Amino acid sequence: MSRAVIDRCALAAVVVLLAAAPWALNALGATFWVSVLAEILIWSLLAASVNLLLGYVGLLSFGQALYFGFGMYGTALSVTHWGVGFWSALAIGVLAAVAMAAVAGALAVRLTWHYFAIITVIFSLIFYFLAMSAKPLTGGDDGLSFSAPPVFDLGGFKLTLGDPTTQYYVVFLICLACFALKALLARSPLGLAFMAIRENDRRASLIGINVYLMRWTAFVIAGALAGVGGALFAMFGRYASASYMVYHVSGEAVVWTIVGGTGTLLGPFVGTALLILFREFVSSIWESYLIGVGAIVILVVIFAPEGVVGAWMRLGRRSDGGETADAEPATIPAEAAK
Amino acid sequence: MDLVFALAINGLVWGLIIALIALGLSIIFGLLDIINVAHGDFFMVGTVAGLLVAERTGSFWLAIATVPIVGFLLGLLIERLVIRPSARLASLTIVTTFGLSMILQESVRATFGAQPRRMAAPVQGTVPLFGLDYEIYRLVAAGFAIVCLVAFFLFLNRTKLGTWIRAVRHDHETATALGIPVTRVCAFTFALGTALALIGGAIAAPITTVEFRTGVDILPFCFMAVVIGGLGNLQGTIAAAVLLAVLEGLVTSVTDPTIARIASLAVMCAVLLLRPRGLFAGATR
Repeated sequence: MSRAVIDRCALAAVVVLLAAAPWALNALGATFWVSVLAEILIWSLLAASVNLLLGYVGLLSFGQALYFGFGMYGTALSVTHWGVGFWSALAIGVLAAVAMAAVAGALAVRLTWHYFAIITVIFSLIFYFLAMSAKPLTGGDDGLSFSAPPVFDLGGFKLTLGDPTTQYYVVFLICLACFALKALLARSPLGLAFMAIRENDRRASLIGINVYLMRWTAFVIAGALAGVGGALFAMFGRYASASYMVYHVSGEAVVWTIVGGTGTLLGPFVGTALLILFREFVSSIWESYLIGVGAIVILVVIFAPEGVVGAWMRLGRRSDGGETADAEPATIPAEAAK
Repeated sequence: MDLVFALAINGLVWGLIIALIALGLSIIFGLLDIINVAHGDFFMVGTVAGLLVAERTGSFWLAIATVPIVGFLLGLLIERLVIRPSARLASLTIVTTFGLSMILQESVRATFGAQPRRMAAPVQGTVPLFGLDYEIYRLVAAGFAIVCLVAFFLFLNRTKLGTWIRAVRHDHETATALGIPVTRVCAFTFALGTALALIGGAIAAPITTVEFRTGVDILPFCFMAVVIGGLGNLQGTIAAAVLLAVLEGLVTSVTDPTIARIASLAVMCAVLLLRPRGLFAGATR
């Protein structure tokens, strides 16, 4: 069996496991974990957003929480003020995030590396402070709660998020769609252009790739991914708060991505899952579990900078020598890192 | 009008302390090409260490003397364990220092407690200044900061080690060829930057709250000073820190502090986009 087939089987296994998980967990009486799993899926979208920029275009953003926050507030505010339905609220949230990313990206992608990382933090800080001071609108640190509209309301048939299992499947399907689109993107000419820029932006521009436009496109798509995550998170918690826009949240997403594997399709999900499960298991017995998270991050960067999925794929290349199914794991180009 | 003066003076005092911390950030960036996200937490560790030493020994001056030594040793340790092994991936050091920041904050919370504390000023009393009673300690703190800044530049410009640091900043490879122990100079510089942040913390401890989160608040401000001054431009960093703090103080007198903070973030944004080498371009790193 060739390596590519194994990879494809592993991918299918993950999807099947996730699809069957609520059924198994409910049978075991562990309903709580269905919600944890849904939360992991939502946060993995934020990590996927970081990954799209870092892993595919080679830009490290420390401000993706801003677009997450826009998705969250777009959804929450449109439900509370306009009383729109579930799908319209999600769409408004994602649109808000995309609009913000389009504007911020037009400025931010003029810069690279350190400067890019700093300016993304500044943008998120500016809007964090704005959200904190616009308390009547956003609820500031306390946030604002609302009740989620039903997902479908077709006469007699009504589907709401009240049931954790239904909620899980809604989240699961949307996340599945996002990751599928990301996989398609990675193989499309656009994705190849992204990776060409990651490897060497000067050479990419010489072969006719518009580097600025490509980086901006990636930034907007990343903003959309984060926006979907934020919109889902608002529906999931029936809550939006400015505290999710602070740069520590963005930093956590970067951590998840790197632990999982930069530039791989499933890396962000794997990293998010590992670290959120670590939190769920360890925080009850060790209050300062973040010390552990910090140590894990440092150890991963030093000893396995390609992350969990990246290491798995490297093993595959060694045993097979053949091509792997997903995109190559990102190697941070030495030239760009200067 | 008196209030404006008081806020401007407050800004000046803060600006000098921030300059000390931002200087550490700037020198670490200039030499090692590292964006040290944990730098704010070094400051926080300084405030906590200052408070604890002063509490145990009863002498604030002893705290001022010991905290930089602690900082230097801590810096050496961190450089060896975290920075050096991850330095080959320059971009990822942001991530390792972020992990470091988590470790420092949580360690302090676990040992020192989550409760914010205040520290009594070692010099009590006030002086009349522009018709206001101004706390003497704030002036003392500003004086300390100036002494440290002057000492730092004397060290950098007048000693052999300082010359080595400047040589390595200028060109790693040539410095190696000339027989400068580059690895050790880098370790020393990182430790020096850490010590600067810790002593800034110890000086600031009596005029700020002491808790595990102060670093998160101060880090963006330090970054603003470093970026507006020009990444790695040391004099620019100091000028920008003082300028920003005084400006924020003045803006605070007419509107609320959050707006002042947003305004300076917007300024920083403009500088990054229009003059990425800083306001005082010309002097490069």
